[in-house]
Amino acid sequence: MERLSRVVLNLIFCIQVFLLFLLFAENRIDLPAWLQVAGRMHPLVLHLPIGAIVFLVVLMLVQKDNDKVVTHHVIHIGLLLTSLSASAAALFGFFLSLQSDYGPEVLARHKISGVLLSFLCYAALLLHNAAKKKSIFFGIGILSCLVLVFTGHTGAVLTHGDNFLLAPISKSKIVLTADNASVYKYAVEPILERKCFTCHNESKAKGGLIMTSVDKFKAGGENGKPWVEGDPSASRMIKAFYLPLSEEAHMPPDGKPQLTRIEIAALKAWIKSGADFEKKLSQFDDGDSLKSMVAAIVAAQPPPPVEEQYTFEAASEYVVKNLNTPFRTVLPLYQNSPALQVDFFVRKSFEKKALDELSVIKDQLVVLNLSKMPVEDKDLSTIKLFVNLEYLNLNFSAIKGDGLAELGGLKNLKSIALAGTAIGAGSLGYILSLPNLRDVFVWSTKISDTQLDSLSTLYPKVSIINSQFNDESILKLSKPILDNEGVVQSNADIRLKHPMPGVAIRYTLDGSEPDTLKGLVYDHPLKFSETTVIKARACKESWYCSGVYEVTCFVAGLNPTQVELLTQPDPRYRGQGQASLVDRRKGVPDVLQEPSWLGYRNEPFVAGISFAGQTATVKQIVLSYGKNIGAFCFPPEEVEVWAGENKNELRLIKRLKPDQPAGNEPQGVRALFIPLEPASYSYYKVVAKPVAKLPAWHNGKGQKGWVFIDEIFVY
Amino acid sequence: MENEFINQRFHITRRHFLGKMSLGLGSVALGSLLIPDLFKSGDDGLSQLTGLPHFAPKAKRIIYLFQNGAPSQLESFDYKPLLNKMTGQDLPASIRQGQRLTGMTSNQAKFPLVGSHFSFKQYGKSGAWVSEIFPNIAKIVDDICFIKTMHTEAINHDPALTFMQSGAQQGNRPSMGAWLSYGLGSENKNLPAYCVLLSRGRGNGQGVYSKLWSNGFLDSIHQGVQFSSSEERVLYLKDPAGRDRQDTRKMLDNLAQLNDLNYTDFGDPEIQARVQQYEMAYRMQAAVPELSDLSQEPDHIIKMYGADCLVPGTYASNCLLARKLSESGVRFVQLYHQGWDQHGNMVGEMPLQAEDVDRATAALIMDLKQRGLLDETLVIWGGEFGRTNYCQGNLSKENYGRDHHPRSYTIWMAGGGVKPGTVYGETDEFGYNIVRDPVHVNDFHATVLHLMGLNHEQLTFKHLGRRYRLTDVAGKVVNGILA
Repeated sequence: MERLSRVVLNLIFCIQVFLLFLLFAENRIDLPAWLQVAGRMHPLVLHLPIGAIVFLVVLMLVQKDNDKVVTHHVIHIGLLLTSLSASAAALFGFFLSLQSDYGPEVLARHKISGVLLSFLCYAALLLHNAAKKKSIFFGIGILSCLVLVFTGHTGAVLTHGDNFLLAPISKSKIVLTADNASVYKYAVEPILERKCFTCHNESKAKGGLIMTSVDKFKAGGENGKPWVEGDPSASRMIKAFYLPLSEEAHMPPDGKPQLTRIEIAALKAWIKSGADFEKKLSQFDDGDSLKSMVAAIVAAQPPPPVEEQYTFEAASEYVVKNLNTPFRTVLPLYQNSPALQVDFFVRKSFEKKALDELSVIKDQLVVLNLSKMPVEDKDLSTIKLFVNLEYLNLNFSAIKGDGLAELGGLKNLKSIALAGTAIGAGSLGYILSLPNLRDVFVWSTKISDTQLDSLSTLYPKVSIINSQFNDESILKLSKPILDNEGVVQSNADIRLKHPMPGVAIRYTLDGSEPDTLKGLVYDHPLKFSETTVIKARACKESWYCSGVYEVTCFVAGLNPTQVELLTQPDPRYRGQGQASLVDRRKGVPDVLQEPSWLGYRNEPFVAGISFAGQTATVKQIVLSYGKNIGAFCFPPEEVEVWAGENKNELRLIKRLKPDQPAGNEPQGVRALFIPLEPASYSYYKVVAKPVAKLPAWHNGKGQKGWVFIDEIFVY
Repeated sequence: MENEFINQRFHITRRHFLGKMSLGLGSVALGSLLIPDLFKSGDDGLSQLTGLPHFAPKAKRIIYLFQNGAPSQLESFDYKPLLNKMTGQDLPASIRQGQRLTGMTSNQAKFPLVGSHFSFKQYGKSGAWVSEIFPNIAKIVDDICFIKTMHTEAINHDPALTFMQSGAQQGNRPSMGAWLSYGLGSENKNLPAYCVLLSRGRGNGQGVYSKLWSNGFLDSIHQGVQFSSSEERVLYLKDPAGRDRQDTRKMLDNLAQLNDLNYTDFGDPEIQARVQQYEMAYRMQAAVPELSDLSQEPDHIIKMYGADCLVPGTYASNCLLARKLSESGVRFVQLYHQGWDQHGNMVGEMPLQAEDVDRATAALIMDLKQRGLLDETLVIWGGEFGRTNYCQGNLSKENYGRDHHPRSYTIWMAGGGVKPGTVYGETDEFGYNIVRDPVHVNDFHATVLHLMGLNHEQLTFKHLGRRYRLTDVAGKVVNGILA
């Protein structure tokens, strides 16, 4: 063991001497092939001293007093290994540096620091046994660590390129676009950067070729210029791409990321169009293959978002979080942006205090939305503190304009919205000369059109946006509607309404059409004792009257002892059987499966109404039916009413043929009025026959129609 | 039994334990917010968890005027005079190129081309062609960017509609609005981030279903909230008679205490979600009446949107309400207007449908513009696919119909970050195939997210073992329409 250690020690010494010699005499050496192999093992060997040094540091940190002897021994072996591997790595490094083209400056730094490290390790090894020089030993140890880091870093710069380590976190400040950059910078260089720069850069120039600088790239490498303008197939670079992977001259070398077909095509197109470094996309001819290719790339990539560069510091996250309430939202404009946007919501909950509290973010506040908040002119003195404010929304706030004088210092203000406020033209003068102002929104204010015109000529770079709508044509009102829903009780209040204030509603109850002259003015609720058809229309000055609103107001009538179905409805539309007839629930005209509806097609609807045990005078029966022409639902073709003292002794007292539609009509639930001679029979039978053959104009001509009944009323 | 006992002792079930573990990881992630990029790799999918745009957004909110049933591009914005010349002639096979047809026309012996019954004119500085039945939209073409070359994969309403809304034809994915709510959160804590308004025109209609505004696998808080078409826009929001707001407050506070007890017992996070939703509803009680009260709108606004805007449930009133919601910070307002499915009776129904939407749509754009909101609001108008250039059923002198056509259709956008006064893409003279700049539904989604400041490849959610996106595995931002 002792002997081995001495041999190694001597070997290390020899290497140190050799290293010193190489440092000054390397140019005079011609490297034999087997040493070239040793040189290529540099990347393998160099990791050994790194590991060993880390191991030693850890060991020394955790060693305890009671096992000093053992630790001392282990450390000594460790130091031997470290020194040997460090020397070997430095030596092999020399051999490697003689074979390839690396950037001279970084290489020199790496070389010297490598040799230095080797010396330091050797020194540490020698000092380790000298008990009195502990402090020197540790000093050298620390120095070795520092030199190790430096050597490692310069080595990495040689293999991976300059910015390899920090590339993921260092952002390039200038965003290239097809508009601001040459096609070379925009489309060609990124390909070279991805696939070629690691070996062809200032610090490592394989084949003498440096691609990272345009001038050196043009100058070419040992073998000359990599391209021939206009002739891709004669260009060295392109040829190298197409060589078999096994060839040494194939580029990029086997094992490195290869160029894709599209990338090669782009480089070829660039050479073909003259390998120009300056031309921009717009300067190429339309037919140029590079142009169409780059245009495709441009189209495929979203344009880099143009982000405002804010110079102010971001507010603390804690402050921003605490400013958020249900009625005040404070958010950064986007991720990692220092700029803040503040919105206020719910007018009733606004407090002046909530605005003042924003002074803690006065530098960061860029967008402020106070739309509809009761902000007054005096509150603008708070807003003037927000020196970086760009967008201010004061639409429909309570300001009158004088306070705008306070905003004269908002040099960054780009847009201010003042629509719906009481400001006048005079107060606009305070802000229109702000240097960055672009848009002012003044719709629905006291400013007249002529004032606006003169302001626009005075301040041509500000667009003053007023009403977008100038249509003098007269429009038709919407129809009034019946407020009551479903079946109403006899003599209940019947209300008509219209959503627009100041509208007059005229109506008729006799079937005639109301207009501005005809019909009654609706001014108080109506009362009906029977089902009634109302026709109404709304009128207002400077509007056309609405169309006619026609609605049947179904009123609950007598309560028969019993109502029964004498024929069964179609199995698909059974509703709730006879209960549907008197449940006082209205059907919906296009939802025929609804339980309100009883549907008949192949046989007539027949219902019996019994007044057994009561004496009621009946003067009218109303059938409520569904009209839906598209769905074959027509009024009954014929209606009959039979009456008598009991179910079995009836006679026909009324026969009626309702009017049939002559074309498509709106769907709806309609009333079929069947007036009778007033009488007090105890049993009535109502028969309603579906249309046997639909008319020729209808899609289902010749087929049977449907009758849908949802309710029956007796008065 | 033993298991239950253990669960009880730990106040936790296996599921909640696993759920909490992920919360634990979340708090580590939260810790990293102090040094923002500490754990951030260049392109991880977690960055959207901050609820902020990935980069500076062009638009902050979206109003999507969905025209349900597929309005015909050939009667609205894609002018094809050749079809008028060739009306009655058969669709050349070289144009159809074996395109599959729906069951409704695949049995037709002939595919007679038919030109628009309605005349077209060019409008504005951009010279965009607009049909006579959209006179008001014609006036604002210089604020609009038409995309003539949308195309989709589905040929029937439901899958196409679902695809347009959620990026998948099957209805199990989150809708666009849900993704935005997930990615950007709510601006206004008193209103849902995603609101849905329905209306129905006078044409042949197709249904809409709540799956279209589903949160899919996202948290249920991102689901679209459907507003009622009645006067009471959010049902059951009013306090019952005889109870005032103070009582409600007290009730909610006490209820929250009880829920807290329950939460300590069971640890179910849904309990806390429920408490939050009660609080949201309480705040909505203040915010919604302020919004849905249209009676305070001045006369000239009513005139702008048309008189129908005061009638609840109409497209016009939904447009007006959409403006108010958007103005109040709702991220995504989704309208569905039904009735655009003109298989027949194009001549009869198309003008009625157009009349319902034309004035209010144009009014919405102008209204946003005069308030200074158009720059930050993205308005989208369009359906789920286009309609064929040939006639479905009988072609007569008076009338015709058109079948579904997924290969090309027109939609338009306006506002937030979109190039105004432009026409993007081009279809062939037959209005059948795309000749330049196609925009797939995935591309459309990628573009919309881009405008909102979101990278569509980074807005992901892990579900069933993989990360999902609105654009799934496709989609490119359409740069040509960006301002």
